[in-house]
Amino acid sequence: MKLNVDVTPRTDVPRWMRYGTPVFTILAALAVSAVALVALGVSPVEAYYVMFVQTLTTNFGLTNTVAKAVPLIFAGLAVYLPLKAQLWNIGAEGQLFLGAIAGTWIGLNVSLPMVALLPLMFVGGALAGAAWIAVPAWLRAKLGINEIITTLLFVFVATEIKNYLVRGPLQAPTANFPQSAQLPAAAQLPDIPVVGYPVGIVLAVVLVAVTYLLVNYTRLGYEITFIGANDTAAEHAGMSKFKIYMIVLMAGGAMAGVAGVSELSGVQGRLRASFEPGYGFTAIPIALLGRNGAFQVMLAALFFAVIFVGGSSIQTLLGVPSAIVDIMQALIILFLITSEFFKQYSIDLGIERAPDPGAPGQPEGEV
Amino acid sequence: MAGLAAGLANATVNASTVLILAGLGELISERAGVLNLGVEGMMLVGALSGFVVTWVTGSYWLGMGIAITAGGLMALLHAFLCISLNSDQAVSGIMLTLLGTGLTTYFGNDWSGRSIDGFPEVTIPVVGEYLVEIPILGSALFQSTATDYAALLLVPVVWLFLYRTNIGLELISVGEDPETADTMGVDVFKMRYLAVILGGMFAGAAGAHLSLAFNGIWSATMTAGRGWIAVALVIFARWRPGRILLGAYLFGLFNALQLYSQGLNLSLGPGAPLVGVVNPVLEFVLNPTIMSTYPYLVTLLVLVITVVRAENRELAQPSALVQSYSREAD
Amino acid sequence: MSNDEFVQLKDITKTFPGVVANDDVSMSLRRGEIHGLLGENGAGKSTLMKILYGLYSADEGEIWLDGERLDMESPQDAIDAGIGMVHQHFKLIPRLSVSENIVLGMREPAAAFRADRDDDRGVLSALTGNSVVRGLASRFTLGLDEPQAEIQQLADDYGFDLDVTTPVWELGVGERQRVEILKALYRDVDLLILDEPTAVLTPTQAQRLCDTLRKLTDEGLTVIIITHKLDEITDVTDRVTVLRDGQDVGTVETSEHTSDDFARMMVGRDVLFQLEKEGVATGDAVLDVSDLRADGDRGIEAVSGVDLTIDSGEIVGLAGVSGNGQKELAEALVGVRETTDGTIAVTGEDVTNAPPRSFIDNGVSFVPEDRHEDGCAGTLSIMHNAVMKAYTDTEFSDGLKLDYEAMEAYAETLVEAFDVRGINDVRDINAGELSGGNLQKLILAREMLREPDLLVANQPTRGVDVGAIEFIRERLLEQRRAGTGILLLSEDLDELFDLSDRILVIYEGEFVYETTPEAATRRRIGLEMNGGQGAEQSAKVAADGGQSDAR
Repeated sequence: MKLNVDVTPRTDVPRWMRYGTPVFTILAALAVSAVALVALGVSPVEAYYVMFVQTLTTNFGLTNTVAKAVPLIFAGLAVYLPLKAQLWNIGAEGQLFLGAIAGTWIGLNVSLPMVALLPLMFVGGALAGAAWIAVPAWLRAKLGINEIITTLLFVFVATEIKNYLVRGPLQAPTANFPQSAQLPAAAQLPDIPVVGYPVGIVLAVVLVAVTYLLVNYTRLGYEITFIGANDTAAEHAGMSKFKIYMIVLMAGGAMAGVAGVSELSGVQGRLRASFEPGYGFTAIPIALLGRNGAFQVMLAALFFAVIFVGGSSIQTLLGVPSAIVDIMQALIILFLITSEFFKQYSIDLGIERAPDPGAPGQPEGEV
Repeated sequence: MAGLAAGLANATVNASTVLILAGLGELISERAGVLNLGVEGMMLVGALSGFVVTWVTGSYWLGMGIAITAGGLMALLHAFLCISLNSDQAVSGIMLTLLGTGLTTYFGNDWSGRSIDGFPEVTIPVVGEYLVEIPILGSALFQSTATDYAALLLVPVVWLFLYRTNIGLELISVGEDPETADTMGVDVFKMRYLAVILGGMFAGAAGAHLSLAFNGIWSATMTAGRGWIAVALVIFARWRPGRILLGAYLFGLFNALQLYSQGLNLSLGPGAPLVGVVNPVLEFVLNPTIMSTYPYLVTLLVLVITVVRAENRELAQPSALVQSYSREAD
Repeated sequence: MSNDEFVQLKDITKTFPGVVANDDVSMSLRRGEIHGLLGENGAGKSTLMKILYGLYSADEGEIWLDGERLDMESPQDAIDAGIGMVHQHFKLIPRLSVSENIVLGMREPAAAFRADRDDDRGVLSALTGNSVVRGLASRFTLGLDEPQAEIQQLADDYGFDLDVTTPVWELGVGERQRVEILKALYRDVDLLILDEPTAVLTPTQAQRLCDTLRKLTDEGLTVIIITHKLDEITDVTDRVTVLRDGQDVGTVETSEHTSDDFARMMVGRDVLFQLEKEGVATGDAVLDVSDLRADGDRGIEAVSGVDLTIDSGEIVGLAGVSGNGQKELAEALVGVRETTDGTIAVTGEDVTNAPPRSFIDNGVSFVPEDRHEDGCAGTLSIMHNAVMKAYTDTEFSDGLKLDYEAMEAYAETLVEAFDVRGINDVRDINAGELSGGNLQKLILAREMLREPDLLVANQPTRGVDVGAIEFIRERLLEQRRAGTGILLLSEDLDELFDLSDRILVIYEGEFVYETTPEAATRRRIGLEMNGGQGAEQSAKVAADGGQSDAR
């Protein structure tokens, strides 16, 4: 008796699989994380209730979720767009830091009313993020050096630059803490009146729409998609790989920079050495979940925002370390990449009986 | 001055062991064509598991053994995803780092703040007492823990493994051109699995070295990015074991300089030319935070230089690195 | 089975998604013969041999070797059975040395542990008798010294002129092929399969290869040569098996047949195409190339000083053995490959080293050799691929936005005009799902309906079903009538004769012969493709002592 595992490539992906995958992966991740919860003596039902239901039904929870979603959307787009061209912007976190740094400097040193100051900070952050990815982008576009490694290396350099600045040039003169001075009121992102959500969400949604239109309705979007599908054929078509790679990566860097500014001016209020939100890395599963479109990226970002907010809730209320959220993130990625396999191959399991030794005329077929 | 030099040497060697262990493991994995970005996570898992087992059983050898196994198991997952399922190697690796970090922070909460007596510093029998007397380098190199010595010994061992054994030859071939190796009868999957699992085992050992020998404590994220430095180190070393050792010492030196930077206080006297320009530059360059970027910057430089000067095939990366392989790909 | 039928393949069938590569194919070999396996591209030769070599497994059928049925699941099984293969694309690892490449996979233990030594070493010989020790030794030691000496000896015996300690990346093409052959010889194969062996060799090298093969078969080796070249068949083989469209047409004695017979067996019809080719008045030059040079992918010069003019309404056919620079020339002429010297002008406009975009804008169209790699994005829809060159036209985009409806309509026009089958919705189906012939028709539609001034077509009918071939050739002639200048690269001499106004032969990066279909003979063209008049060539070889080997 032999277990026969037959793996055959699919010619196309069944509809239920294509749209159901994000849902299945999330459910699977939640199921496995439940084990970790049980291990610490916490009821998964209770924990997930707090994490999801409470977060989404209380005003406090919703506001926090939206606030958390803003930088996640920006960061998610920062990874999503290059991914369309088959490029991995693993360095979003570093570009985020540079954006925050630029935003801090502008916010502290330029005195303008909020109406002018905030946009200036965002533009500065975008430019800083784009500048930070410029070198890895050029190395990839011109020399073909893998951007995964280079953007990653730049994250660690960015982290130390941030740490250096808050202990040195950007340090608040008042006390000896590794942090900058508090941003003036004009530099802090306000909330939308009545609803209470941070203004940044408007920008985030706008950017999602712009990205969607760019990818699906413009010439540039066509080129990006084509290069991602076959870069050699794209060159035959006259598309400039160098140009597209640079544009797509710099745009990603800019958006990650914007994420940095929005988090800095909307939540943090000042630049601290401890500022290491990890949004640049969370952006990776967000971009994978939202692979099919900018709006899906937004949904994925919202989902992660929920579990982040829910995660700190269960830490406060149930004593569960918020690291459970990191575990869940990792599991989501794990199940996502596993599901990629099932989307490409179909598995048939069968039991083979051993051939009867006495039977005449062995059937042919096993060569 | 001699005291400073000896102190630097000691700190350098101490800092290098983790990098040697993790670096050698990553080298083996990448030589077979599989990038493992999960080193940081595997190191943390090794550190925590080793620590817990040592606390509970009192035996640091057992702790080290369990740590190695734990690292190997995590790597097994990475191997399954990348080799059998043909998943994106970078994403799988980052996922494992996230998982390792998350799991160890989550479960390690109760274990922070405790301390154990880990591997003691020992000298080599017979010759040890004389070797320790060597000025500056003596106590740095020859008064170390078992894991420090093991790391040094592993450098030639890994070299012999790769270049002087049949398995090593097959492993290298699989990382250069798996289709050709397959045609020659090499079991590509087995070789890649072996390489990745070995890499994880080394990473687990590196993590356990931190919690059992380097410091006798556990704290969340105690690897502090050393796993990433190990990945950079392999690139810096152009995938050669000997250069891993040199690179580990270099990066270890950067680390050591950070610790000693206050004591270094290098600056030009007020009368020297260009004092106004040179001194601030020196201060910047010797700033400990800035110094911690040097391993990464130096790696980037080496990476660019070797790609630009592409003629020397010997320094090129394993040709099939990051590419997944399946037969009958038609 | 007669007693000198050494190998038998019986009723082999193998299918891949969408295509039956081998359909009930049978073939048998006699010991010591050189057996040719002939067929056009896509006939199933490579697939059949990969099954014989253990790389693929047949869906149905059996393989018998020397009276025993073979059950091979991997190349290792084939090697164990004594079957060796020299691939067209060499399976060598550049970083390793010649001898390391050859011993890879054999797990020879170090000298001390080799069990076949007969000197008395006491404890050590007791140890090596133990299977566990042997297993460990074969894994954890490296026995290179003796094998290396043996391999060097083997190489010298056959006159290979190789230093087996050299890393393979330092070797040229001819030398690498010799390493491939050595690999098989070292493993004591009884059957050696060579896949298109002369495709990348100079005539001198090819001759040398044939001599080597003769030497080997004289010593009892059996050889299969896969090829699509008729002169190779007639020069070297004893018997030939012909495949056509996945089926076997039969096995015959080479000496009893002519090239024409073989051609007929390969192709199936006496006169395949009778195309109406009338004279067309040619116009101004659409392409003007002067002293063009370009390097190949490995940095070696592939195009060595080419002058070419193509007029409007003219089809210039280019004949040549694969690897003589024609691919690089085609790529240079459409802007996809950088040139190192010389000039290119399209309709009077100098486009030397301009980006591909300029060429496209100046009316240059290209049908590449590899339609999947270079010609389309397989995962994108028909519509996306249809507008690949045209998307910058104002009819599809005003400023930034793309007009999808216009694009869809355009794609549908292409599909209809060129009879691309199997598409109900141009947005829904991906280019990769089309069959070879249909995809090629789509690509041609895309390239031709732009009304180009210059069309470069590289093997436009390769791997395409017969019906589509006729269609494509008609369209080429139609394009010629419309005034396009066409450079047609083809390995099919019939095609060149039928379609071209002029025929050029390229050899080692230069044009060596020019003629017209009326004045030319196949003989002469074939000769020029392989280096020119025989007597002159051997004199040249003797003079430079075979130096032209380092390629």
